[in-house]
Amino acid sequence: MDSQTPMSSSIQLAHGSGGLMTRELLDQIIFSTFKNPFLEQKHDGAIVPLKGPVVISTDSFVVSPIFFAGGNIGDLAINGTVNDVAMCGGVPEFISLGFIIEEGLDTSDFVKIVQTIKAAAEEAGVLIVTGDTKVVESGKGDKIFINTTGIGSPHPRAHISMDRIRPGDQLLVSGPIAAHGMAILSQREGLQFESEIRSDTTCLNHLVSDLLDEFGDQVHLLRDPTRGGISSVCSEIAQDSALGVLLRETALPLDPQVAAACEMLGLDPLYVANEGIFCAIVDAEAAPKILERMKSHPKGGRAALIGEIRSEYPGKVVMESAVGGSRIVTPLIGEQLPRIC
Amino acid sequence: METTIRIIIQGRVQGVGFRPFVYRKARALGIRGSVTNTGEGVLILATGPPNILDEFYTAVTRYPPPVAQVVRHSREEIAPEHPEGFSIVPTAAEGGLNLQLTPDFALCESCATELKEVGNHRKGYPFISCVACGPRWALTETFPFEREHTSMSAFTQCPACLAEYGDPEDRRFHSQTNSCPQCGIACWLADPKGNKIAQDAGSAFRELAIKLAEGSIIALKNTSGYLLCCDARQGPVVSRLRNRKQRPSKPFAVLYPSMEQLREDLEVSPAEAEALHSPERPIVLLSSAGYRGEASLEAIAPGLNQLGVMLPYTGVLAMLATAFPHPLVATSGNLHGSPICFSEAEAMEKLSGVADFFFGHNLAILHPQDDSVVRMSASPPGRIVLRRSRGMAPNYSKPVDSRPGAASMALGAHLKSSVACIPNDFLYVSQYLGNLDNFEVYQRFTQTVDSFVELFGQRPKTLLVDGHPSYLSHRYGRELSGKWEVTVREIQHHKAHFAAVLAEHGLFVQREPVLGVIWDGTGYGEDGQVWGGEFFRYQEGVIARTGQLDYFDWLAGDKMAREPRLSLLSLLGPGAEAPGSKFSEGERQLYAKLLHSNTLKTSSMGRVFDAVSSLLGYCDLNTFEGEAAMRLETACRDFSLEGASPFVHLNAEGNIPAKLLVQEVARAKKSGRPGGWIAGNFIFTLANLILEKAERESVRKVACSGGVFQNALLLDMLHRISPRHLEWYFHREFSPNDENVSFGQLMFHLNCT
Ligand SMILES: [Fe+3]
Ligand SMILES: [Mg+2]
Ligand SMILES: [Zn+2]
Ligand SMILES: [Zn+2]
Repeated sequence: MDSQTPMSSSIQLAHGSGGLMTRELLDQIIFSTFKNPFLEQKHDGAIVPLKGPVVISTDSFVVSPIFFAGGNIGDLAINGTVNDVAMCGGVPEFISLGFIIEEGLDTSDFVKIVQTIKAAAEEAGVLIVTGDTKVVESGKGDKIFINTTGIGSPHPRAHISMDRIRPGDQLLVSGPIAAHGMAILSQREGLQFESEIRSDTTCLNHLVSDLLDEFGDQVHLLRDPTRGGISSVCSEIAQDSALGVLLRETALPLDPQVAAACEMLGLDPLYVANEGIFCAIVDAEAAPKILERMKSHPKGGRAALIGEIRSEYPGKVVMESAVGGSRIVTPLIGEQLPRIC
Repeated sequence: METTIRIIIQGRVQGVGFRPFVYRKARALGIRGSVTNTGEGVLILATGPPNILDEFYTAVTRYPPPVAQVVRHSREEIAPEHPEGFSIVPTAAEGGLNLQLTPDFALCESCATELKEVGNHRKGYPFISCVACGPRWALTETFPFEREHTSMSAFTQCPACLAEYGDPEDRRFHSQTNSCPQCGIACWLADPKGNKIAQDAGSAFRELAIKLAEGSIIALKNTSGYLLCCDARQGPVVSRLRNRKQRPSKPFAVLYPSMEQLREDLEVSPAEAEALHSPERPIVLLSSAGYRGEASLEAIAPGLNQLGVMLPYTGVLAMLATAFPHPLVATSGNLHGSPICFSEAEAMEKLSGVADFFFGHNLAILHPQDDSVVRMSASPPGRIVLRRSRGMAPNYSKPVDSRPGAASMALGAHLKSSVACIPNDFLYVSQYLGNLDNFEVYQRFTQTVDSFVELFGQRPKTLLVDGHPSYLSHRYGRELSGKWEVTVREIQHHKAHFAAVLAEHGLFVQREPVLGVIWDGTGYGEDGQVWGGEFFRYQEGVIARTGQLDYFDWLAGDKMAREPRLSLLSLLGPGAEAPGSKFSEGERQLYAKLLHSNTLKTSSMGRVFDAVSSLLGYCDLNTFEGEAAMRLETACRDFSLEGASPFVHLNAEGNIPAKLLVQEVARAKKSGRPGGWIAGNFIFTLANLILEKAERESVRKVACSGGVFQNALLLDMLHRISPRHLEWYFHREFSPNDENVSFGQLMFHLNCT
């Protein structure tokens, strides 16, 4: 990085050619940002120290728009994968980072994304150890796609698995629901609400580690309700465990402006995506303490007990509604089609 | 010379006093032999001179007892037998059942008289019944209808009752529900904690009358489920019931003590009186114009010009009417969208926050049913069923040719759920079950499926479901098909509606084309859009879509059906004056953007009704399903055809120009036309569009289905403007709304490719 030629103002096809311009892009933006000993090995990959079993998870991020209130595709790509590793009971340590950039992306946008990635990785305490950058012709992508793979080791006290779920187990959620999906939707459609709705994207690994340190195998299952929202997570749990899930509508934490936005659009917040919360199914006796612990953590300040596992209706999710009575919550199928006359 | 014949009679022939009737006929004619209930129907072996046997056969098949219905009968000569006398043989238990089930029957005149008769030992016994009346389906565990197959089996007849049961000359000869105060059902009045404050019928009804007069709300266990009752004259009490039931403005029905009292307060047409008195004894919607009574109509049916009325149909209600001879609000005992309660425990749990006192009894209800609801259309004169339940379920009275579809079960729609099946030579359709979104309704729905399977001892080989992937009935059908390893067939919602009305009128078996006009709120279309304003053509097993309401944008999921103003916005555009005033600036911008990027389209006629109702200022937000359309209908009661002129005509494609139609309505409003006239002319326009379609399609037969045809004014209008050569077919047995979808699915499956 000695003889600096200034970067062009947008990403060109040649930046993905593997030639000089690629080198420039990597040196000036990526390596200089993510400096760490593993990257300095300058291998085609990274050699990282790990002992025993490995937790690994990968995810691709294609969100549009790439910038939104509360974050951008960059922190989403780190947090998403970090959280997936954490949901398996893993402690994420290393991340691989792959970009697919559509030619013409503003360089300044790319820099912004890379810097956000750096900040998110630092917050999560993970190192970016290897990566890849490709550029595709205009029209073959949508500004930028990011793939991340997270690697970590299992938390020593974690014993997380579907078959540990028992009737009576309590369902906790770590924070208010539906914020991310509504932030994206309002940004994408140019919808304006009285107050801005911000994505909840954040890393959850520290909170999860704290819980596992303290409560170990009393935590039976962890899931982050991303695409398909709470309803999809609960439906999966119900189907895979062959037990029922009871939700209490009045207990669901929901920001008033998110609730209002959902109401105006006719959307059910249970189906809206989240990026910074998780659901935990925990031992009934330990539940109050676990909830308390979550609430005392900065990432779980608005955690709530939202339901429990029931044996009466295997495979079904039933919600006690705020207006009385209860209803079945089905997993999302395609878009939310109207059913009522 | 004597011969022996074997007679089989099928139809509604059990639990209706058929065997005693046969017995008496046989004795009167000197015929010897026997009569028994079998899985195939009533089996008679009769020995006598041939000419007398002929007379006997005619008598038993042509002139059955009042509540019986003979659907099929046959006779054959068999080897002569030489029995002594004529006997009723206990039911022979055997394989499959080929019977109609028996619905609940209203209290008959004779029993109603005995209930009040001084000296009669059943005076004041609320569970009085005979072979011609009383609960049936509500108590049915298995078949055939014998006491031991019902929840009456918990009660053993006393010697006096047994004597009646065994006496061929008695009205209660072989009456399976026979009981009396000595041996029968106990009843009481309790507070919400379950403390009994009256332990017998006499004191319970005396107390009830006092509590009602004091303004209490009573949960009353009838023989088909719980009712919530209060004094209809006390507006604040009715409002309290509304608040507790969380039912802000949906109209309540009123139980009148007697026809005489009803007539003092309201005009009742002969057809309406007949419906009110029929063995089904439904709630009948009457025009409340010129109401002279004391019931607080503003609290009971706010802003509507109709009142749902019924007469006492059980001993319990007859006793109540005697003790408290005033109009009573009587509504299904449930909470907001939940199914009707039917057990003590359930009622005490669910209704303790609603009712001040509980009238209970110890007869178990197995098939809870709401009251059926009908209204009468003036022309063509006939019945529009709005809810098919007690007294009508679970039978379909016409024979169907079941061979091609034997062992099929149809799981219906979602919002007004019902289950239908053809396990044998008959077709059965469950009572209205309600909105499957409600978990308890869903459970009752799955129990209904189970109970049909159990009752007929067989699983269906084919399951029929609506095409909507998110209907819970669809999902349950898929689940069951995996579990039972049977096939599922998806049937488009509106084609099922059309098949239902075609079947009711036997139109599958003729060759002329039929125009189907299927207008409702929503249904999943074959192109993935939301259908609801469809023209079909049926001919020789094929249903084809030949026109529609032009597509417009469907906005905001289920919210659009709850907010008529959104339909208006979609149809007129967010920039127009009329929808604009109904939204905040922020909302308007938001929906304008949504409209811009929206891809989901609809042809729903229900939404056009919503838009017009909102435009004319009748309803912007529905507080109950169908409210906007109901208020619109209310507004145009005085509309006269003179000066009517259609707002629009069919376009070149033979479709209804939805947007233009609503624009024309808006223009009429702007020009200062009164709302009632515009509303009437809107309905007139729709009627006229149907005539135009019939002409373009060169058909003579027009069949209509879908929730829109609950509108009596539309039927009336069609009838009045129809050219002579057109033949009209409307639902008479089923409701035009989604309750008929299960039946229609079966009929489509049997008859269409
Ligand atoms: Fe329908
Ligand atoms: Mg993920
Ligand atoms: Zn009777
Ligand atoms: Zn008795």
